[in-house]
Amino acid sequence: MALLGLSTLTHKQDVDAMIRDTLDKVLVLRFGRATDPLCMQLDETLGKSSRELSKFASIALVDVDAQEIQVYLHYFDITLIPATVFFFNSQHMKMDSGTPDHTKWIGAFHSKQDFIDVVETIYKGAMRGKLIVNCPLPADRVPKFELLYKDI
Amino acid sequence: MPDVEVNYDDLNTVAKLQNTPRYHDLMKKVDEAIESGVPATMAKLSEDDPEYQLIVECNTLSVDIDNEIGVIHNYIRDKYRLKFPELESLVQHPIDYARVVKRIGNEMDLTLVDLEGVLPSATIMVVSVTASTTNGKPLAEEVLQKTLDACDRALDLDESKKKVLNFVESRMAFIAPNLSAILGSAVAAKLMGTAGGLSALSKMPACNVQILGVKKKNSAGFSSATLNPHTGFIFHSEIVQGSPPSLRTRAARLVSGKSTLAARVDATMGDRLGQTGRAFREEIQKKIEKWQEPPPPKQPKPLPVPDSDPKKKRGGRRLRKMKERYAMTDMRKLANRMSFNIPEESSLGDGLGEGYGMLGQAGSGKLRISAGPSKLSTKVKKFKEKKYGSSGATSGLTSSLAFTPVQGIELSNPSAQAALLGSGTQSTYFSETGSFSKIKKIV
Repeated sequence: MALLGLSTLTHKQDVDAMIRDTLDKVLVLRFGRATDPLCMQLDETLGKSSRELSKFASIALVDVDAQEIQVYLHYFDITLIPATVFFFNSQHMKMDSGTPDHTKWIGAFHSKQDFIDVVETIYKGAMRGKLIVNCPLPADRVPKFELLYKDI
Repeated sequence: MPDVEVNYDDLNTVAKLQNTPRYHDLMKKVDEAIESGVPATMAKLSEDDPEYQLIVECNTLSVDIDNEIGVIHNYIRDKYRLKFPELESLVQHPIDYARVVKRIGNEMDLTLVDLEGVLPSATIMVVSVTASTTNGKPLAEEVLQKTLDACDRALDLDESKKKVLNFVESRMAFIAPNLSAILGSAVAAKLMGTAGGLSALSKMPACNVQILGVKKKNSAGFSSATLNPHTGFIFHSEIVQGSPPSLRTRAARLVSGKSTLAARVDATMGDRLGQTGRAFREEIQKKIEKWQEPPPPKQPKPLPVPDSDPKKKRGGRRLRKMKERYAMTDMRKLANRMSFNIPEESSLGDGLGEGYGMLGQAGSGKLRISAGPSKLSTKVKKFKEKKYGSSGATSGLTSSLAFTPVQGIELSNPSAQAALLGSGTQSTYFSETGSFSKIKKIV
């Protein structure tokens, strides 16, 4: 992870500070474990694009196994890993990608360009004052998952 | 000062140096100094030291010898012109010229003369060929003798000059320690010799120092494209030749700059130990190493913020012309409008299909509208409107025959009819004379 240049957050106040202090930039928080292979794939995409998006987005990784982070898991209702949540100026940004859950992005991205497109759409929508945007990716590029509702 | 009539016949009136006592003294001293070897005290030749004085004098002497050789060369050339005029343009160097003259002597047939070792073989060939077609005549005996004497004198002087320069070179580390620390004693001695002394060298700008020792003319017929420009002593010195070929010109410039500074230090005797020179040398080597480093790796550029720069809209004639292709046509405009209380016709009749609006109405009876030339198209002049130099007002249709309508011939003027349609400001569908837009005779 040090190779990727992305910081991993384990404490609650770090996450709070990150959300509060990122101004006029999209904040991408990945909730996941570094050891999970799908997580690793997502992490690589995030790391490779972090410098290119540095002018309008900042990216951070949140470790899901830390004790303090469980609050966030509960708040955002994160059950499947990896989950990516987008913020802009401390506002939670939602994205409709055809999946049942609009509040976060589950899974990895198909390619770096897909991720860049998503972040750009979120930025444009947020600058116009929207809180929910439409996903620019076609349906076959969006990873499908089944929403577990109370472990059913 | 009264005009001295120089007697060109006698060499001694022109070439005086060898007869002066100064010359003989100095040569003797040089011989002694060469024999005595390197002085015991390694460093610090002060100005008062007689050895230093000798070296300074040697420098001026070498310049004088050069001048003297030039004078003698002129003398030889003047005499030998009667025999072989083209030789002076083929062999420019005075010493080589003297050697060639000695070998040829009064000979007319150059195949009997062996010029090996004196000239490069290509030049020998050129010389032989030119000699066979020369319009020179053999010289008189005394003239020949004088010429050969002069050649001997020139070669002697050359020998002494070589001796002097060798001596200077051996003492170079004491004369100019900084300069010889950078370039080495041989090259430093050559530079000093060519410049005419250490102080003269120090007064030159660095760009001139770089050029010292460059061989100017190349013989007739040889291309100058392959030879390097501005390659003097410094270019051929060890430190520059040790760098990769692509960096040599840059290195030569760097070295000549630093060596000029070193020469100036030596001329003013600022640093007798040569430390400045060694520091310069290290600096030069470091710089050459740095040039050879690969460039730093390029970081990927971050993407620009979306929608931060508004798109540049273009305008102008070209854009307008392109937009004309998709512009709303007059036909479509008419079809979109309807007049009040007049039902429009439609394609399928009876209100079905596309409506034609005002298109077929107004009694003009035609559904078509002529397209008309676009406002932006370049005007093409009609062929018949050009004047062929018709001088007067007579139109080309007049004839000398006079026909009256009684006789039954009707001549119509087609251009009159076209003028009726003519002006683009009037639109055609309001006109009562139903007109054709083109009138062409069908054969």
